Amino acid sequence: MSFRNQIQISETKVPKAAIGLLIFVLCFGLFIVGYDQGQLFSLVQGEQAYSDLWVHEFAHDMRHAAGFPCH
Amino acid sequence: MIILDSLSFLVVAVISGAISGTIFGLVNLALVEPYLDRAIGIEVQNAVSAGEEVNPIEHVNYRFWQKGGEVVAGTILGMSFGALLGIVFVFGRKLIHGSNIKKALVLSGVIWLVIFMIPALKYPANPPTVGDPDTINYRQYLFISFILISGFTALGLSIIYHKINRKSSFKLLAVSVIYTGIIVGAFIAIPPNPDKITAPMDLVNGFRIMSMLTMTIFWVVLGITFGLIWDKLKPHEPTQFKTI
Repeated sequence: MSFRNQIQISETKVPKAAIGLLIFVLCFGLFIVGYDQGQLFSLVQGEQAYSDLWVHEFAHDMRHAAGFPCH
Repeated sequence: MIILDSLSFLVVAVISGAISGTIFGLVNLALVEPYLDRAIGIEVQNAVSAGEEVNPIEHVNYRFWQKGGEVVAGTILGMSFGALLGIVFVFGRKLIHGSNIKKALVLSGVIWLVIFMIPALKYPANPPTVGDPDTINYRQYLFISFILISGFTALGLSIIYHKINRKSSFKLLAVSVIYTGIIVGAFIAIPPNPDKITAPMDLVNGFRIMSMLTMTIFWVVLGITFGLIWDKLKPHEPTQFKTI
């Protein structure tokens, strides 16, 4: 009597769209919290956004606490 | 072939990040805020000494708004880092043995080391009163450059590590030595923070220790939360159809 051993290798396919969306979330979130110097609000507020720095001021304490450069 | 369930996968990454980030913001309110308040108090004193008018009620309201912002920004930053852990987890989970919580914790520990701890040795966190507004763009450029060098070096070496089909401890030693060499090179080559520290050193050091502690707590909480939600939603399992 002979036995045949079968090994099933399961491969998981990673959806590219989900990875793309997560890369967007990563970059956008990091930009808002760590790097925005008025750029985001300048899209609606114009040049004034660069002196108001609303996003910068709102994320100010987290920016310091998480180690991002500030001021 | 099993296709990962995109929606569950996205939910695991973003929700675990949002939960951990909100906790991070709240922990910061308790541990980091006293240092921020003291540093901002020094800034206000300096402004008053320089002849600026500071309305105390407006200042208190403004600080209250910023403290709320810290929690919201924590949630956003958490979602961001949750997304990063999701990407790393989905490619790296089969390389680590054990439960999904253990896998997520190990991978979040690696990310913490590569994109937070090692860059923090070169560019440690600073409280307000330390940064010069005129050098902000330059400092942001230095900081992100160091993170990218550390991150992409680790990514490239991990790909090379798994492409080499030989089981030996030499392989791990070799990639560790190469990573250390590149990071030491970057430490030497990339300029230091140009701003001089004029704030009291007990304030600066206390702030840095608390910042490092809460960031570490964040990555531990993120790893655990991610693993728990992954186990609950099981994005890697084929969809089960129920017969009614």
